[in-house]
Amino acid sequence: MNSIFVVIPNLCTGCRTCELACSFAHQVDGKLGHSRIIVLDSGIKDLWIPVTCLQCDDPACVKSCLVDALRLNPETGAVELNQEKCVKCMACMAACPFGCTLLDSQHNMIVKCDLCGGDPVCAHFCPTKALTFKPLAAKQLKVSA
Amino acid sequence: MLVQTPQQLNDLHKQYLADEEKFAKKVLVCCGPGCLASGAAKIVDEFKKLLKKKRIKDFSVEALKETGCHGLCEQGPLVVIEPQGIFYTKVKAKHVEKIIETSIRKDEIVTDLLYTDPKTNQTIERYADISFYSHQHRIALRHLGKISQYDIRDYIAQGGYQALAKALTKMKPDDIIDEVTKSGLRGRGGAGFPAGRKWATCRRAEDQPHYVICNGDEGDPGAFMDRAIMEGNPHSVLEGMIICARAVGSEDGYIYVREEYPLAVQNLQLAIDQATEYGFLGENILGTDLSFDIKVSRGGGAFVCGESSALMKSVAGEVGEPRAKYVRSVLKGLFDKPTVLNNVESFANVPVIINEGGEKFASLGTPKSTGTKAFSLVGKVRNTGLIEVPMGTTLREIIYDIGGGIQNDRPFKAVQTGGPSGGCLPESKLDLPVDFDTLTEAGSMMGSGGMIVVDDRTCVVDLAKYFLGFLVDESCGKCTPCREGLYQLHRLAVKISEGEAAEEDLKKMEKLSEMVIIGSLCGLGKSGPNPFLSTIQYFRDEYLTHIRDKRCPAGVCRALIRYDVIAEKCDGCLACIEACAVHAITGKKGEVHVIDQDKCDKCGACYAVCTRDAIEVT
Amino acid sequence: MSKMVHITINGKVVSASEGEMLLAVIRREGIEIPALCHHEAVEPLGACRLCTVEITKEEWDGWSNFVTSCLYPVENDLIVSTHSPKVVQLRRTLVDLQLARCPNSPEIRQLAEEYGITKTSYEEIPDGDNCILCGLCTRICDQMGFAAISTIGRGHGKKVAPPLDEAPPDCVGCLSCALNCPTNVIEFTDAGNIRTIWDKQFELISCAKCGKKTITKEFAKALSESREIPMSYFEICDECHRKELVQTMGRIALWSREVVS
Repeated sequence: MNSIFVVIPNLCTGCRTCELACSFAHQVDGKLGHSRIIVLDSGIKDLWIPVTCLQCDDPACVKSCLVDALRLNPETGAVELNQEKCVKCMACMAACPFGCTLLDSQHNMIVKCDLCGGDPVCAHFCPTKALTFKPLAAKQLKVSA
Repeated sequence: MLVQTPQQLNDLHKQYLADEEKFAKKVLVCCGPGCLASGAAKIVDEFKKLLKKKRIKDFSVEALKETGCHGLCEQGPLVVIEPQGIFYTKVKAKHVEKIIETSIRKDEIVTDLLYTDPKTNQTIERYADISFYSHQHRIALRHLGKISQYDIRDYIAQGGYQALAKALTKMKPDDIIDEVTKSGLRGRGGAGFPAGRKWATCRRAEDQPHYVICNGDEGDPGAFMDRAIMEGNPHSVLEGMIICARAVGSEDGYIYVREEYPLAVQNLQLAIDQATEYGFLGENILGTDLSFDIKVSRGGGAFVCGESSALMKSVAGEVGEPRAKYVRSVLKGLFDKPTVLNNVESFANVPVIINEGGEKFASLGTPKSTGTKAFSLVGKVRNTGLIEVPMGTTLREIIYDIGGGIQNDRPFKAVQTGGPSGGCLPESKLDLPVDFDTLTEAGSMMGSGGMIVVDDRTCVVDLAKYFLGFLVDESCGKCTPCREGLYQLHRLAVKISEGEAAEEDLKKMEKLSEMVIIGSLCGLGKSGPNPFLSTIQYFRDEYLTHIRDKRCPAGVCRALIRYDVIAEKCDGCLACIEACAVHAITGKKGEVHVIDQDKCDKCGACYAVCTRDAIEVT
Repeated sequence: MSKMVHITINGKVVSASEGEMLLAVIRREGIEIPALCHHEAVEPLGACRLCTVEITKEEWDGWSNFVTSCLYPVENDLIVSTHSPKVVQLRRTLVDLQLARCPNSPEIRQLAEEYGITKTSYEEIPDGDNCILCGLCTRICDQMGFAAISTIGRGHGKKVAPPLDEAPPDCVGCLSCALNCPTNVIEFTDAGNIRTIWDKQFELISCAKCGKKTITKEFAKALSESREIPMSYFEICDECHRKELVQTMGRIALWSREVVS
């Protein structure tokens, strides 16, 4: 992986264009899907926090999945959930320390950010660049486990 | 007693043969499945008891042998006196003293115990002169009835393990496979796959280790060929397996025996222990680098475990369900490793092929079905028993020349072959040669060798219903077409037998049968509809009579028959009244009896006991 | 790096990786065929037979075979027909047979309607439940590592059950069996903080912050022990975890405002 998803809450205006873009990008049966990014009010004036999967290097969700439906994609750096393998036991939801594995109760499935396969649409559409997907400088590249 | 060289084996062979020739005569008591069931054990005990007490020149209890199935089970218990080949039938323990005094101490015959030819009404002294035997050619069954089931020395005296010595010391593994290929041996379990090709594929398989398994599950109702071989000549199976192990490169073998054959398990284990003692199993067999061990693996009572992938799961300790993988078990078999699985009879043929050469074996039978085949000939024939004939022998020869025709001279109706996977053939097909392909083309199949002859008092609807019901019970239940499809086929057959069906039901059954055949996961399901399809092919009228006329011409289907007393013939003897368990018959002594149709449950007991021919079934 | 092969599906030539199962290729082409006993989490079983397709090759001289696509590995030059007349007839028959087994199952009835069947043409099984014996529940439970239930019996009497028909000692109440049953046969109840399934009761974890119920204590314990995840992760629910994250990120954002200025 040679890019990283950067969140700068100070630039977030709370417009939630990212949520809309994500829903569009993850449609189910031709209808809007469940957004994998949530913009939450911090309680502090003018401060909104876009919350999405932190794509951990040592993901608790991957460890918790007993059917290997979750895996860390070495190319994109994203932790991906294979919907076809998922048995909906919600272990990943319970294990994620950041609450970023979400329940889409409308479609009865568990969803999480997969960085859109390497070109996250939320970053693409964020008007203030609070969300960006940046190439890592050589000295910033870490060797993943 | 480790035999390290072929020369040593040869010396033992000569020694054991000489040991036998010390005795002027031999008494062979058949302890095959049929005779054992009829009381052979008591006869053996009586012989042992008496022979210990008596003093007879050139004879002792050591000349008494408990052998495997001699063949003519209908006439059992059988006792044979060699070398004359005198054949005593329907022997009881009370006859033993007379046999000893007449035929062993002296050279005379106990005429009461001789076989009577039903055609000529003459007695026959020697079994070789009985047409049941004279038409046979026994290779797989070669030593049955002639050697002790329990003693390896008898097997060695007859030349046993010489083929193994030849294979190990004079042949290379590829030579062995060549010989088996030349023989044209096809799997005797029924599928008829060329054994040589199977062994060659396993030999070439890179994955290790390789396994050799003998299929002794024999689940077909009425079949007992494999049982007779496992019980009566277990060493022939072991020898075949060890030769195979050399050919394909295996160190571990299993014989899978169905749960219902405890005697086979016992005799096989005894043979394995003896063979190990002599060094024919274990490490460095006959001084070569071949090490091979055989374990007996018992089934759990499931017909489906005769299917190769289910069998291998069962051996591995898992539930015996066939797998649907489209990779052959010769490449991924037991524990997912290359495995040769062959039938008992197939292995029993191997030593003969090695000893006499594949070409000689191939000179018997037909070009595409070489060699001989063992059959259990049962049902309404006069001579029921275990037989072996060259492939290509016609059904007519088997049923009439060997089987002696139909009991009580009733009309022949059909012969059912191939067990639940097979089918029925009518009289018009009696001249078909029995082999792997011809019967299949005619809508039946040879199968593993079960051959059931039925007469006009057997209903084919009832027969199909029986086999379908059997398969419903034995289906593993994994796949829908077999579990549900055969169930529904059986239900429809029941409907027909109860007179509740319509003609559309026959069409429904035919269509469903086709879907079960293409949809099923394994052979059990794929061949499950055969009992119905073959009977509807040749006996459609009988089905239609059940449906249209609500009548069972054979007088079997209970809902469609009635028992009546023929007034003119009844003399009021009370026999049927006493026999009737539901008190459906009334009448005083001397007066014509009457059957109350509402109470009668069609069990047929009255028909069985009436000696005046006064009960009729319609 | 696996070899590529070319097969024909319904007349169209497509490429696939050698060794791939036919069903995956068929689905990739957007062709829908039912496969009730199929789930990517477990090895294919070939039990329902609905995914059967007709295959042939040019050198087979017109002979064709019927195989379950979930288990058949692709080979070069394979010619596949997913909706040939016999295949459709087979699927229809299979659905008809399942309807005889489960006449009251809404899911089976819906499937049957797709094949134009409103009532089974066979004899309905008396006292049946809606289990179609696809085995998904037992296979998924095995895959999860619990193996708490299995199929017992043979043939028509086969059923899914815990050992000896008693509360299964190895069940942790994860609900994977119930949630993946095609006919929703497996019953469970969540009442208060007690979950009941297979006649066994489990305690649901209540979030230490808000009290929302998450997974069972037994399931969390099993995950924690076998996968070395701190038990503390399971004591807070996902919503409260997000709130914690918001707090943390908020503090960082505020701090960086000061640093920048």
